[in-house]
Amino acid sequence: MAAARRLKRVAASQPGFLTLKSSVNPADLVSGRRKRVNKNKKKSWNKHSDINDVEEFLEDVRHQERTTGGLLSEKTDDSLFFLDVGQPKKAEQTEEPVDGGKRKGKGSRPLRIDLILQHDSLVPPAKDVLAYQQPNAKKLRRIAQKAEQLAAKGVVPRRQRQLLSRRPVDRTVKKAATEANNNPDRGYYDIWGQESKDSADPWYLQQTGKKQVKRPEKLLQKPSVLPAVEVIAPGGSYNPDFFSHQALLQEAHDVEVKKQKQEDRIERQLAVNKEDKATEETVLREQVEGLVEEEDEEEEQEGASNDNEEEVVVGAIALAEKKTERQRKKEKAEKIKEQRRQADRKQTDQQQQLFQLRSIKASIKQQEQKTKTNQIKRKAKQEAEKSQPRRLGKLKFQPQDLEVQLSNELAGSLRQLKPEGSILKDRFKSLQKRNLIEPRDRAKFKRRLKVKYVEKRAFKEIA
Amino acid sequence: MGGLQKKKYERGSATNYITRNRARKKLMLSLPDFRRLCILKGIYPHEPKHKKKVNKGSTAPRTFYLLKDIRFLLHEPIVGKFREYKIFVRKLKKAYGKTEWSTVERLRENKPTYKLDHIIKERYPSFIDALRDIDDALCMCFLFSTFARTGKCHVQTIQLCRRLTVEWMNYVIASRSLRKVFISIKGIYYQAEVMGQLITWLVPYQFSHDHPTDVDYRVMATFTEMYTTLLGFVNFRLYHSLNLLYPPKLDAKAQAELKEEDEDDYAMNSESYLEKLSALSASLARVVSSADEEEAELDQFPDEGEDVEKMEAREKEQKQQEAQRKMFHGLKFFLNREVPRESLAFVIRCFGGEVSWDKSICIGSTYDVTDETITHHIVDRPSIDKQYINRYYIQPQWVYDCVNAKILLPVEDYFIGVTLPPHLSPFVEEREGDYVPPEKLKIMALQRGETTANDQEEDNEEEEDEEEEEEEEDDDDNADEEEDDEEEAEEKNLKEMEEQRSQGKSLQVKVTPGKVKVENPARKEQEEKAEEKRLAIMMMKKKEKYLYDKIMFGKKRKIREANKLAAKRKAHDDAEKAQKKKKKSRK
Repeated sequence: MAAARRLKRVAASQPGFLTLKSSVNPADLVSGRRKRVNKNKKKSWNKHSDINDVEEFLEDVRHQERTTGGLLSEKTDDSLFFLDVGQPKKAEQTEEPVDGGKRKGKGSRPLRIDLILQHDSLVPPAKDVLAYQQPNAKKLRRIAQKAEQLAAKGVVPRRQRQLLSRRPVDRTVKKAATEANNNPDRGYYDIWGQESKDSADPWYLQQTGKKQVKRPEKLLQKPSVLPAVEVIAPGGSYNPDFFSHQALLQEAHDVEVKKQKQEDRIERQLAVNKEDKATEETVLREQVEGLVEEEDEEEEQEGASNDNEEEVVVGAIALAEKKTERQRKKEKAEKIKEQRRQADRKQTDQQQQLFQLRSIKASIKQQEQKTKTNQIKRKAKQEAEKSQPRRLGKLKFQPQDLEVQLSNELAGSLRQLKPEGSILKDRFKSLQKRNLIEPRDRAKFKRRLKVKYVEKRAFKEIA
Repeated sequence: MGGLQKKKYERGSATNYITRNRARKKLMLSLPDFRRLCILKGIYPHEPKHKKKVNKGSTAPRTFYLLKDIRFLLHEPIVGKFREYKIFVRKLKKAYGKTEWSTVERLRENKPTYKLDHIIKERYPSFIDALRDIDDALCMCFLFSTFARTGKCHVQTIQLCRRLTVEWMNYVIASRSLRKVFISIKGIYYQAEVMGQLITWLVPYQFSHDHPTDVDYRVMATFTEMYTTLLGFVNFRLYHSLNLLYPPKLDAKAQAELKEEDEDDYAMNSESYLEKLSALSASLARVVSSADEEEAELDQFPDEGEDVEKMEAREKEQKQQEAQRKMFHGLKFFLNREVPRESLAFVIRCFGGEVSWDKSICIGSTYDVTDETITHHIVDRPSIDKQYINRYYIQPQWVYDCVNAKILLPVEDYFIGVTLPPHLSPFVEEREGDYVPPEKLKIMALQRGETTANDQEEDNEEEEDEEEEEEEEDDDDNADEEEDDEEEAEEKNLKEMEEQRSQGKSLQVKVTPGKVKVENPARKEQEEKAEEKRLAIMMMKKKEKYLYDKIMFGKKRKIREANKLAAKRKAHDDAEKAQKKKKKSRK
């Protein structure tokens, strides 16, 4: 736009201008016959009006501007002409040292391609307006102004105020929510003092499964009557009384003897009987087995078996004889008689019992007493069982070895005392003894895949 | 015969029980989780009466639970947490495998945890219930607090256990409720009376751990998890019952005293407070800062007749207990470096003594060795170089024996280098007729206020022995026997008279001025009672008589055995004495 404007101005300021090219003849323009042309359309304007002169003129102006930086007519004479006084000699002299540093000169000369691409026009490139423009510049400028005013007054805008009022994210609070059970700094409160608050509808709580289910009464009982901490016998003191120490030693000794006996018994049961051992004689007999003939005996045996068979057959064939009518009648009568006799007997017995009332009473009493004693016994046994470890799994409860220090192991003073046994184990066994956990073995490690041993090559070389 | 055939194992005990594996499947938990849940909820396996019936004909040994218990477990919210935790572990493993560290961190931050508070409330509906079950919790916490931090269990658990046990000990000190101490070869047994409940716990010696392999650490850790929660709540309640601040705070006065030292040598700032608490040398701050200790006077209700006597007796007892609780009041102890510091400090402070130790042993020492006001210096080595003249140098057993005897025992038996008297178990309660070791008899005599010739002990040992024997005899002889003797004497007199009469001799008749027979009313009463008893025995039925005889025989046998033991003991002592004399003469 700016260029066009300038062209207009140039054209206006120079009505009789001087052209560099004199190819266009003004006489041509005037002399031709006038054509009749429609002038109502731009297309026809373009077609029939001759604008070459204007184009040429403008082209000329542009050329001037490009090459000289302005119109030649406007230039001063000094800038267009100079006085030619021949070749300047000094220039040659100055060039010589440049030749001397030939390479340097060559290196500093620009490449031809760069020269071609160089901007050779003297008209400066048009300004890129968009590069200087800013969207919403006016609005932003106004906002900035307002902000400055407010800041001067000391008013903080709302947005900033909100940001300031927002608290930094508190990480510790979040950690407290997911605090582990064994956190050493955890807090406690009065758990038994406060009443449980039933905030919501109980029906709602029940239906949504949020209600605490009541613990059955039975679970408040302990599975064993044994105390949690069983104090060691007085002989277990670090500086025991002589007799109590001896008593404890005796106890430990008894336990060991019992164990030993059991072991011995198993060994005895496993021992090989001497009679079962092979002697030379039995070995020989075994080797000769089947080689020596024993025909006679066999024949005899066969004969015997044959006899037996015959007898059996005879017995089986024997027939039962048929009873006669008389026999039948007699049997029936006997049967009836027997029945009557028994009924009579029963009646007399019952009558007699009337006189035996005292003895019967006594026997009943005895029986009752017996049941009573049995009941008591059973109850006592149940009571005793309450303090016994139950069989809760595959393994039976194995009591811990008694902690004992022999007389020569006893320390003279507290400083020299060597603790015996492990309390951890003691507690563990106590839990088992009180039926709180079932005794069990340590799980055995089972290898799923076989292990293959390979010697490394480096090792092989040495070995 | 109509009706369907009854199928086996569809009714009765077979339906009341469930095997462990089936229970586990029902709850959809892995075995370790199931085990943990059972421990936390207090549900224990059960041994059925008829195993074969329950096991559907098989006799294979199995672990059974009651079906109702398992149904109860189904409602537990923690079960859901266990499942969440399982998923968490799986995710974490995956993230590790893919080396996605940010995911790992995020997962770690949101690690699912659970609380056991509601379970504690459910298992122990009232505070007293919890207190009754605190023995186990104390034992376990004391045990875990002495573990080395080597990865056998979480370090955090150890720290928590330590904190709780320190709190407990401070409470026992503040409430003066320690009753008995027994130093055994296993560990130290303590017994305290808290709110009328006798609580016994066992504390291991320090640094005495070998880790046994046949103990399931996971199970123990689960129990500890439950017990730490329980003990914490109990501690809170106990502290509040004494008007103490719950996360315990040191008294302002005591704190100022302790401040003077340079604390940085011992612990980091974060830990030094707990360390100071665990030193047990300073008293705790109260909510209402009151005068040192208010004496809680028992209210008196005027009553008629016998109740007044009872009241008086009770009052007397109360006073006695009060005196026992302040046994070490006004005494200043100093612990040498070789004695077990924590245990001794705990016991001494429980009975009102002041205690300190060398600065280099532990934080929280209050005075120096050079303090002139120290009355007892506890030493456990054969000799000591520099001795102060105004204090006793005694062995640590003295403190424990004093606690058990409930009086200050004579210090002579416990001096440095002296062979100590045996440390008797205070947990043994002898019944009538049992054998009582002479050392205990001596202590009992001291308790009664009698002073046996202890002062001149070394000079006349034999005399003392005789006294002991007499005592034993006194104990052994029953009132019945005495009476028997008298009866016998009377009979003798009568017999003599009869003999004389039968021989036809004229009796030596003589009239002497009468003497007023002095009647001893007490004796008469006794005689009457004995007579009544004799008659009652005579009137017994045969069966009861038999039982009575049996009981009496048992009693007599016990006495006989006790006598035997006493005689044996005497022989033993004599032999030792003879040896000693020999040694002396040799020297």
